[in-house]
Amino acid sequence: MENQYWHHAPLSFSKQNPTGPRAAKTYGVHLTLPHAALSSSSSGLVHQYAPPAGAFPVFHHLGGIGAGPNVAMNQAKRLRAEVSYQPRPYPADRGTGSMGYQSKVRVTDKYKVVGFISSGTYGRVYKALGRHGQPGEFAIKKFKPDKEGEQASYTGISQSAVREMALCSELNHANVIRLIEIILEDKCIFMVFEYAEHDLLQIIHHHTQQPRHPIPPSTIKSIMFQLLNGCQYLHTNWVLHRDLKPANIMVTSSGEVKIGDLGLARLSYKPLHSLYSGDKVVVTIWYRAPELLLGSRHYTPAVDMWAVGCIFAELLSLRPIFKGEEAKMDSKKTVPFQRNQMQKIVDIMGMPTKERWPLLTSMYEYSQLTTLQPPISHGGHHGHHHHHQHGQHYQSQRHASSSSAGAGVSHLEKWYYNTINQQTSSSPAGTPTAAHSPLSSLGAEGYKLLAGLLEYDPEKRLTAAAALQHPFFSTGDPVSANCFEGLKTEYPCRRVSQDDNDIRTSSLPGTKRSGLPDDSLVRPGKRVKEG
Amino acid sequence: MAANYWESTQRKHWQFTKDDLAVIRQRLDDEDPTLVQMFPLPPLRHLNIYFNQQINRLGKRLGVRQQAMATAQVYLKRFYTRTPIRQTNPYLLVTTALYLACKMEECPQHIRLLTQEARSLWPSDLHGHDASRVGECEFSLISEMHAQLIVHQPYRTLLSLQGEFALTHDETSLAWTVINDHYMTDLPLLHPPHVIALTAVLLALVLRPSGNAPGAGGGGAGAGGGSAAAAAAAGAGGVAMAATALAQAQARAAAMAGGGGAGFGSQGSQQQQQMGFSQGNSQGEAPAPEPKKVTDPRLAKVQRFAAWLADSNIDVEAMVDCTQELISFYECHEQYNDKHTREQISRFIKARNLDK
Repeated sequence: MENQYWHHAPLSFSKQNPTGPRAAKTYGVHLTLPHAALSSSSSGLVHQYAPPAGAFPVFHHLGGIGAGPNVAMNQAKRLRAEVSYQPRPYPADRGTGSMGYQSKVRVTDKYKVVGFISSGTYGRVYKALGRHGQPGEFAIKKFKPDKEGEQASYTGISQSAVREMALCSELNHANVIRLIEIILEDKCIFMVFEYAEHDLLQIIHHHTQQPRHPIPPSTIKSIMFQLLNGCQYLHTNWVLHRDLKPANIMVTSSGEVKIGDLGLARLSYKPLHSLYSGDKVVVTIWYRAPELLLGSRHYTPAVDMWAVGCIFAELLSLRPIFKGEEAKMDSKKTVPFQRNQMQKIVDIMGMPTKERWPLLTSMYEYSQLTTLQPPISHGGHHGHHHHHQHGQHYQSQRHASSSSAGAGVSHLEKWYYNTINQQTSSSPAGTPTAAHSPLSSLGAEGYKLLAGLLEYDPEKRLTAAAALQHPFFSTGDPVSANCFEGLKTEYPCRRVSQDDNDIRTSSLPGTKRSGLPDDSLVRPGKRVKEG
Repeated sequence: MAANYWESTQRKHWQFTKDDLAVIRQRLDDEDPTLVQMFPLPPLRHLNIYFNQQINRLGKRLGVRQQAMATAQVYLKRFYTRTPIRQTNPYLLVTTALYLACKMEECPQHIRLLTQEARSLWPSDLHGHDASRVGECEFSLISEMHAQLIVHQPYRTLLSLQGEFALTHDETSLAWTVINDHYMTDLPLLHPPHVIALTAVLLALVLRPSGNAPGAGGGGAGAGGGSAAAAAAAGAGGVAMAATALAQAQARAAAMAGGGGAGFGSQGSQQQQQMGFSQGNSQGEAPAPEPKKVTDPRLAKVQRFAAWLADSNIDVEAMVDCTQELISFYECHEQYNDKHTREQISRFIKARNLDK
């Protein structure tokens, strides 16, 4: 009974792990940040110090000891004259005294950058190989310095970078992207991750290419299981990802799914401020849970589970299920109600009701719901719910025809069966192929899982642990740990562009280097647009 | 992992034995023996007290939460297992540790504001430093800690145990104070947070909460959070009681583990002797090891605690060690000389131009 009382020990109070920390410990020479290994060679180096006159008595006092004060003194003087305040090889005073910080390992000494993968608000990602026989490939995420182009001084690391570094250093799970090391060098942060050849966005995109063809059900099942497995790991460890979307779900060439980009992740037991404040932008709007849209100030794991539901739907239909348009923040910086996004959800899920979601009426934006259109009771063609731009007349007509009870009815089931039965070819929806759609094998359990994830009430929504136990995974073909198992086709490799693979340059596209006139910049060749 | 101490980097990489720490520190001294000789420093315990107080002073100026100050304390301790103190400007480290801890604990402070406060707090030792130096030092700090920035603190455990042991408000706040105090020792590097928290609860139960604890001596300490030192000094009898409780728990746990009864009594009393080293003028308040009819409600709580401990898998040995460490810390605290410590630190900072 005692164990449940504190967080440090969810499993047991093993007295002392016999193979435990003592045996395993290697101070500073462990895997992440291996540059610490260099420190063993430091004993032979002379540390610099420069005693001013005031320190003399000490020398006399210690006269008889060791090499003798005069030797030490002369050495100290000489060193001070020659090299103090100069950058110098390790060990420096480690950035803590009068000497500058110097990384003990340089990213370009250790890794060979083979190309540029992508850039975002955080910075840029490069593909790299190890120079010292480190197995595998790497993705190096370089954080953009706070002030682009100007790196004259340290300005402090952003809180989100600190979070990401700290969380990634702790995480260790097959379905979460693995951090290899972090290198802090030249005012930049380089996070070195294992490389993944694919991501879900890319895989989905591949299937939309002509002829449009659905993702095989065995692949979907495996992806979902691995994704949920990674989520369960994060959630049991109180980590909320907060930005799950296809682009952030990596897939290795051996078919392992890995949750990536923990740039927005937070520890949920640390809401000193409610998680709402602080960051205004959280979770790409299409994957944003209804409770967030309705103004909830608190993130829970259920927020991630909604996103997983959206991803599931997208794997089935190859397009975002709730593809709303984001309302921009107004000049007063008030967070707007995302009406369009909420409407997209209502179109398929029906109006949320307090019968389905008891706490609904206490949501901050509850009153906004009345401004939404009840769903149209049409055939539920996926992705074609663009009928709300009609005039008042049509609206009231529709109101009259649908009872208030009808407004709460979900069309998800219809959406699901239309999707799995129609996903056969690129032909218009009106000409269903005679043959069974491959996706129809996902059957009723697929619907139940989807509905459980896209449950309005966050408290009733499936948790990752419950979703893993869902019959969807225990019926039909067994789930493979390799989501590509049995596939004949191979997915194209991640596009890596060659014309910008200098990881050390500080300037980002469109930014100027300070102090240089524009035309003195060597312009790289025209950038290839990334797929 | 992030929220699981047992899988955490804290347990894997930042929990040491006393011997480990001794070896590490010797190695740091050996990096440059001349430097060590030239600039003698007060005993490490006193340095720990001093650094602790500096973090708290800066934190309080800025209204920083206790949790963030505690994390900063741990950062500083970790850093100084990897870098000789004399190679650093401790005030810069204190400032940087707090800056980083605030971000980690979700109560960020602006780097400029923090630097400004630090400079006004330690004008002569930090005058040459601006925000960019703190930013640079942050790189060192993160690098030396291998970006392992998540620290598990005993506070949460304490709060979750409050109900279990029916702690009064006074008892909880005394335990809280003991936890605050343990950051002045090596304990955060030696024991898991739940062991610390349980030790703090035990001490709070046996050391009578003194309504308004007279701030524990030491100039400068001032607002040090009403150290439990005074209470400890007054409650030597309580220490004996703590020893007994732990001995009981150990004996019961051992008995339940099923290894014959003979040895336990002696083991227990031995423990008691170990623990009672400081009880020179014990008032004989310690109860006999055998459970008897309890009328004192405080005693009842202690016994309940001991029984709970016996039923758990808690490392009682570690708790014994914690208790000893804390008690001897409180003793040592009385010899602590703030001025002397500050001067010795300033001397090497000035001599080595670390203030510029």
